[in-house]
Amino acid sequence: MQSEDDLKILIITTLISSYPGANTVGQARLQYSPGTYVIRVPDPVMFPEDFYIESLQKGIDGIIVMSSGSDCPYEGAYARLSSRIGRVYTRMKEIGISPSRLKLTTVCTVCKGAFLKEISAMQQAILADQPKSVAEGASR
Amino acid sequence: MSEPESVPAPDQPRVGVYVCHCGGNISDVVDTTAVADALAHHPDVAIARDYVFMCSDPGQNLIVDDIKAGKVDRVVVAACSPALHELTFRKALERAGLNPYLYEHVNIREQVSWVHKGDHERATRKAIRLTAAGVEKVSQQEPLESIAVNVVHHVAIIGGGVAGMSAAIALAGRGIGTTLIEASDRLGGRVAELPSVYPTGESGSEIVRELRDEVMAATLIEVRLKSRVTAMDGHVGKFRLRVEDTDGRAAEVSAGVIILATGHDHYAPVEGEMAYRASQSVVTLPEFLALLDQNGANAGSLVVNGRKIGSIAFIHCVGSRQIEGIHAPQPDGKINDYCSSVCCASTLHAIREVQGRWPDVAIYDLHKDIRAYGRAHEEMYLEASRGGALFFRFPDEEPPSVENANGRTTVKTKDILTWGEELDIPADLVVLATGMMPRDISEIIAMRKLPVGADRFLQEVHPKLRPVETAVNGVLLAGTCQGPMDIGEACTAAQTSAVKAAILLSKPIIELDPFVARVVEDLCDGCEQCIAECEYEGALTMADVERDGQTVRRARVNPALCAGCGACAAACPPRAINVAGWSLNQFEAMVDAIVAENVEALARAERRGRSFAPLAVGISGGPTR
Amino acid sequence: MSAEIERKHADVLVVGAGIAGLQASLDLADQGYSVILVERMPSIGGVMISLSKVFPTLDCASCITTPRMASAAHHPNIDLFTLTEVQSIVPEGNGFAASLVKQPRFVEEDKCIGCRRCEAACSVYVPDEYDYGLGVRKAISIPFTNAIPQYPVLDEETCMLCGACAKACPTQCINFLQEPRRVEITVQAVIMATGFELTPLGAKAEYGGGKYANVLSPLQMERLLAPHGPYGSVLRPSDGKVPDSIAYVQCAGSRDLSLGVPYCSRVCCMYAIKQAMLLSGSLPVADITIYYMDIRAFGKGYEQFYQNAKAMGINFVKAKVARIREDDNHNLFLRIERQEAGTGPEEVQHDLVVLSLGMVPAWRPTPDGIIPLQADTDGFLRLPKTLLRPSWTSMEGVYAAGTATGPKDIVDAIADGGAAAMAAANYVERSRRQAHELAGAAR
Repeated sequence: MQSEDDLKILIITTLISSYPGANTVGQARLQYSPGTYVIRVPDPVMFPEDFYIESLQKGIDGIIVMSSGSDCPYEGAYARLSSRIGRVYTRMKEIGISPSRLKLTTVCTVCKGAFLKEISAMQQAILADQPKSVAEGASR
Repeated sequence: MSEPESVPAPDQPRVGVYVCHCGGNISDVVDTTAVADALAHHPDVAIARDYVFMCSDPGQNLIVDDIKAGKVDRVVVAACSPALHELTFRKALERAGLNPYLYEHVNIREQVSWVHKGDHERATRKAIRLTAAGVEKVSQQEPLESIAVNVVHHVAIIGGGVAGMSAAIALAGRGIGTTLIEASDRLGGRVAELPSVYPTGESGSEIVRELRDEVMAATLIEVRLKSRVTAMDGHVGKFRLRVEDTDGRAAEVSAGVIILATGHDHYAPVEGEMAYRASQSVVTLPEFLALLDQNGANAGSLVVNGRKIGSIAFIHCVGSRQIEGIHAPQPDGKINDYCSSVCCASTLHAIREVQGRWPDVAIYDLHKDIRAYGRAHEEMYLEASRGGALFFRFPDEEPPSVENANGRTTVKTKDILTWGEELDIPADLVVLATGMMPRDISEIIAMRKLPVGADRFLQEVHPKLRPVETAVNGVLLAGTCQGPMDIGEACTAAQTSAVKAAILLSKPIIELDPFVARVVEDLCDGCEQCIAECEYEGALTMADVERDGQTVRRARVNPALCAGCGACAAACPPRAINVAGWSLNQFEAMVDAIVAENVEALARAERRGRSFAPLAVGISGGPTR
Repeated sequence: MSAEIERKHADVLVVGAGIAGLQASLDLADQGYSVILVERMPSIGGVMISLSKVFPTLDCASCITTPRMASAAHHPNIDLFTLTEVQSIVPEGNGFAASLVKQPRFVEEDKCIGCRRCEAACSVYVPDEYDYGLGVRKAISIPFTNAIPQYPVLDEETCMLCGACAKACPTQCINFLQEPRRVEITVQAVIMATGFELTPLGAKAEYGGGKYANVLSPLQMERLLAPHGPYGSVLRPSDGKVPDSIAYVQCAGSRDLSLGVPYCSRVCCMYAIKQAMLLSGSLPVADITIYYMDIRAFGKGYEQFYQNAKAMGINFVKAKVARIREDDNHNLFLRIERQEAGTGPEEVQHDLVVLSLGMVPAWRPTPDGIIPLQADTDGFLRLPKTLLRPSWTSMEGVYAAGTATGPKDIVDAIADGGAAAMAAANYVERSRRQAHELAGAAR
């Protein structure tokens, strides 16, 4: 059985909003699980559906997309992103990955609470879904 | 310093990895030496060091010396947040003669040591993975150069009202030439119509004359009257406008920047609205101001259409602050739900004018709110009130009505201030404080797909932070084409748009961020799926390209128009298009590094091909489920 | 005072690094002009950086301010002086000479790495000005999370000189012996972006501001609403209770001759509506009431914002608030007179009250002050050509931006910054042309 800290949660952040938000959490010395990997992008709209699916298949346990939401500097990007994530959910269901392992949310530069809350929510979602992945691991 | 297991092959990237202790801020939690040691095993890493303060001069010199000695050709620093020192290290690369973009900054302070204090082992492992991910990213990084766009040192200003003239004068003072394109036969726009403007009492024609004299005196300003823009193309730095005058003569104007100062229209009450046109006793505020002008300064009484006026009722918010279901929609089906912002002060100013010249005229003011927000506006309100004007407040949902019977005009209203009393106010004249309407410039809007807001005025890129720029780089807004403004506000906007133009034209070339989409033409199969994803007009198009003697269609990016969001990259099946510096292959390699069981496993992986199977697999898709 | 005098020259001096001053500096620097930007506080960003969100977009204020602060701080054409006071600005040649005094931080900026170990080691707690007294900070501290520059300041008044910070510092950058330092500069033009302050919370004694714990200033409420605020959520200062009913008293510092603030402060309606909307988001069951005279939602998108607030269920009551009293549990009772229903005066209870305070200039020119500019009767800088040249002051070569010239919201302050930069650029160009012509004539 995996424990919280064995998990690998991929956190996709934006340069303008949630990446600085993650730094704000650090400046406040708030603690969270080391099983979290923050990467930064201009906008998550650049990732195709496959990127999410393949990352989960490679060994990422859960993905949190922390977008800039209404602060997004790019025209129409948030609408495209959210509809893409919708399509990823459909595919996840088709191939038997729990949709709870992917979350689209908005985190701002000072949203410390939201940042931590999303991580713990994702941990719980993954652990709740574990019997599946453990069985899957055993069959391999 | 850790010696690498094997020196990278000559064609392989030679990454230098530098892990910062941050004087204990990182090294008290993360075993920085272990991070450097682990990374030394990576096949792309030529040198891995750790040091107490990488940002200090000796720290930076480690990097500079390694580059100059030819040991490394790209760099990863694992330290604090990139917000603090990414630029510092990029500059160090530049000093050493390396392209500054062959650099990756890994944050192991704010996002590792400061947030995982109690768990040294896992924090160290995380730092190793993140640094390895940084190595993966920088290994595939291409040198980037900022995109240079040649600039035409000239600005085209569309609209010759106070905003357009103001922008032209400001730019001339800064040594930048402009072409001022005005549709009518004279400069001055709406302000020229105003006999007296608030709060100063100057006449509109004086204001216009002052600006016009400056415009005419400035050799750097070319004025084109009776002219319209009939075509527009290009991009920031080099727009081309076709300008035609009413005599049918056409000219081409080249400009690095375009300022739109096309102004507004007055709201025209619809037939029968507030008895407008049904009665000669009902006029709009602009019409009333013209009437004031016609009544000479020494006239003993105010006379309108041959009738002496003893009482005037002003009704605010006619054509503004409209409410769905209560007000009839405009011809385009929309209502004007916005506040026109100038009508309150303008009405108060007109009331004062009447009070000053004809103190015996009874004045009634019917409003929802009195929005005397500007400097010296509140004084106008107080003076109007002291001068005897009676103020009534009607509910938002129950606007007054105007009735005209037997040659008498009566305003019927509910007054909140007397607790909802229904009043019949007889008035010799009813003045409708009509607001501003967006002028129909749909032809110009269509030429560059300019953004328009829900209120149908032109829309700025950010209503708070970037008030005069539009989503089209190089196209700026000045004055009431953007929304209701008074003269001072329009001039401020004009001078702000002038400063933005001056910034864009301050160098012979505009250097744009290199982080825009790039197409690898050999990979592009011409499927056009990317085109539908692009929100930026003209940024991504299909072009004919010769391939093996055949003409094929390939995606092409105009870097001057691309914003670099990457929406196209997600839609490209063969991955032919990517945002420079942020390619999908780079991100996949980073994920591989994160899921690798340990960095040694990663080190054993083939660099090209990336065929290794990660050991720790949490979940997997597939038909067995 | 240190005997060493630093001397500098630049094209333009910008006084004040709030959003207007930052924008003016950036708009000059991006054209290639050199700028000396002076800020008396330890961080740039002005009032805007302390706000929760901004109207009408509800963007997070920090998110949109920090990038601009960082661009100004890192700009090669901007020389930034924080914790620095302007002593005098006098015309000299065809430009100006100015004396600045840089106050000591007691931290050597070139050595500090912003790690805050000094802050953790310090045992002296003092009220946090950035949280408008609602939170606490240490006697040595970085002013706030996203302060720029990220250096702490040692508060001379409250420091006990225990030396714990110096021991904790990994770079030995704490220097208890730092002295004020004089900087003499020459520039071609000046932009005054000296900003505003709120009318005092206690100015209207009948409202109990400053006396009753649960009567707040709007900036205190901004901090309570900010995600990184002092309590982490909106609570009553008196007892930490979640308030069920919150009232806004509009024009509590404006349109009031008795306060010497007869004018409209222009932003209070909108910030009250914004805060009310944010409150109804974070306290979904709370009742929020705004007592007002006129709702002045005049700017682009503002009226629509106001209508949205009404649709969200925020109560707008046209009423005058005569006075506020407090009971033993610190509940507040407002004596109001409704104007929409002739029911006579009544008393209503609220858990928390925000006084919508007005704006007054943060700096007022005096004849013997740092620069002999003229002010208007309202105290803000006089604009002799308010319509066509809205950034011209009474002195040639000196321009003004932001709330130095009257109450203004953020977008207007930003537009103002740009306009002032353009005016200053025009003046610098004219001076250069004149100098060039003079040189030509002399030849």
